[in-house]
Amino acid sequence: MSLLYLVLFCAAGFGLLRFLFPGQLRPSLHSALSLSVGAGIGLGIASCLYFICLALAGPKLWLLAIVEGAFVVAAIALGWRAQAGGTELTWADGPPPARFLTVLFAAAAVLGLALFVIYSATKPHGEWDAWSIWNLHARFLYRGGELWKNAFSSRILWSHPDYPVLLPGLISLSWTLARAESTLAPISIAFLFTFATAGLLIASLGVLRGRVQACIAGTLLLGTVVFVQVGAMQYADVPLSFYILATIVLLCLQDRHPQDLRFTLLAGLSAGFAAWTKNEGLMFLIVVILARAIVVLRFGARPALVRQLGAIAAGLVFPLAVVAFFKLRLSPPNDLASTRPADMLKHATDFGRWMTVLQGFGKEAFLFGQMAVEGEVVRGFLIPISLVLLLYWFLVRFRVHQRDRSSVTTAALAVALMLAGDFAIYVLLPRDVNWQLSTSLDRIFLQLWPAGLFAFFMAANVPQLAAKPAPEKSKPAARRASKPQRKTAEARSARG
Amino acid sequence: MARHQFAVIALLGIAVASIFWVLLDVARAYSHSSTSYGVENFENRFADLPKAATPKTVFGYISDNRPEDPSDQAEFYLTQYTLAPAIVVSTINEREVVANMHSANPDMKPLQARGFVPVRNFGNGIFLYRNISVR
Repeated sequence: MSLLYLVLFCAAGFGLLRFLFPGQLRPSLHSALSLSVGAGIGLGIASCLYFICLALAGPKLWLLAIVEGAFVVAAIALGWRAQAGGTELTWADGPPPARFLTVLFAAAAVLGLALFVIYSATKPHGEWDAWSIWNLHARFLYRGGELWKNAFSSRILWSHPDYPVLLPGLISLSWTLARAESTLAPISIAFLFTFATAGLLIASLGVLRGRVQACIAGTLLLGTVVFVQVGAMQYADVPLSFYILATIVLLCLQDRHPQDLRFTLLAGLSAGFAAWTKNEGLMFLIVVILARAIVVLRFGARPALVRQLGAIAAGLVFPLAVVAFFKLRLSPPNDLASTRPADMLKHATDFGRWMTVLQGFGKEAFLFGQMAVEGEVVRGFLIPISLVLLLYWFLVRFRVHQRDRSSVTTAALAVALMLAGDFAIYVLLPRDVNWQLSTSLDRIFLQLWPAGLFAFFMAANVPQLAAKPAPEKSKPAARRASKPQRKTAEARSARG
Repeated sequence: MARHQFAVIALLGIAVASIFWVLLDVARAYSHSSTSYGVENFENRFADLPKAATPKTVFGYISDNRPEDPSDQAEFYLTQYTLAPAIVVSTINEREVVANMHSANPDMKPLQARGFVPVRNFGNGIFLYRNISVR
């Protein structure tokens, strides 16, 4: 039953997406993108509504059933009644993927799925953070009755009761509605977020860059052991990576459809859910607004900035109000945020800390994919993926189309600013910086991995994997043309 | 074309080979584990104690693990996970104290000498004590 309710929330999210961007009700790229984004939006709204009900009226099953039921029915009805028309997202122009690429993609999808299933069967309660934080909080919420606030008790500070409630809320909501506690709920939620992230990356790159880029990026993400495994471990890092990616994708789609502010409105909602997932999501919220403001001022115009900021704010209102209520009324202070200014100053002037953090970031960038779980190192890529990506870039190179410049800059700047913010936090806040780095930096990189892949493949040239068809024989001539000539041609095609 | 093909095959070949390699490890570990894994085993040691745990209950906790043993922290967290919605605190200054022991015949005399009265032995090294010095 838990699974059924989760599917209904995803369907409600899809309904909302279809209401906002009506497309034909058939298997298509538009539907795939709506489904991927909609799954996360539906789950986010359901979690927020659950928390509001709990905070305002306590654990009342009938109230919860009415509120969540009304949301699901209304959203599905809106989506069902929406007439197809308006913005229909389709594959970007480009060659179809070569056969070997399709085979590799299918292999990665099957292997990723198998890894997730076997890992979940082996560890249905997830790993350390799952049972010491997320599922534990869910048990407090579900089993606690009127004393559900024990989940945020300062007597269990080691379980980080200040962490936001999207994940525990969803798990507890599924258990409450199903009237039974089952590990199927957290496993299903983990599954939905893991594979919705992959679906979102593939569909968005399909719309913006074409089938080949979508296929390559999707294969790489599904072949990232640590991404699938951390998803199956039921940690909140993969759901957070979903909302980070969704926010950035929606802002990039906004650039392709400048008049349709619904993309930015949804991006605001998604960024708000990122803040409702993990504390790092709060930083992402600030970072993505800053990145967007810089990009719009650099590539756009001031009126566009005001309109887009307004749309982001409108999308943010609902989830941010829930986060603010939680943080101000229920959450104990965060251990890192409660560092005294004098200590921060001391940390900031400690050269050794800077070097330690720099070394940690360098090592993680090089060895991304390896992770220590309960003292054992999870093997990642057989060869450091940073080196392979460097080789890929050397052979394929970047080529950013003029119309994608603001999109690529938004994505790259948001990821870079997040890393810079995380760097500053490591330098300034923790008492034991070595311990903090060893226990969290791999997951900080993981949170940004799907968005980083999106930025990379938005910028990368589409690889030429098949012999060029006869009519395009004139292209080498264009390549031989001088740089100014090429720029003019690019600008002309962008306008066209 | 060959250059691009090589780049794509290298990138994706490594990704697919890596996940295949790890999948073999995980599948091997799964097929070799004859008993149910970690958390379930730990929870089963507590028998029906979790049913008696109410949201108002606060349990103290003591273990015979050495403090530097990494499993000490994990088992404390798992005890809290098992006994939620009761709160478990790592102290013996509570009215009811859960003892998590690992030896077959743990020496409980030091605890009893400090005023702890045995309430129940759940088997598997889990005991519930009452600290009569706490009201």
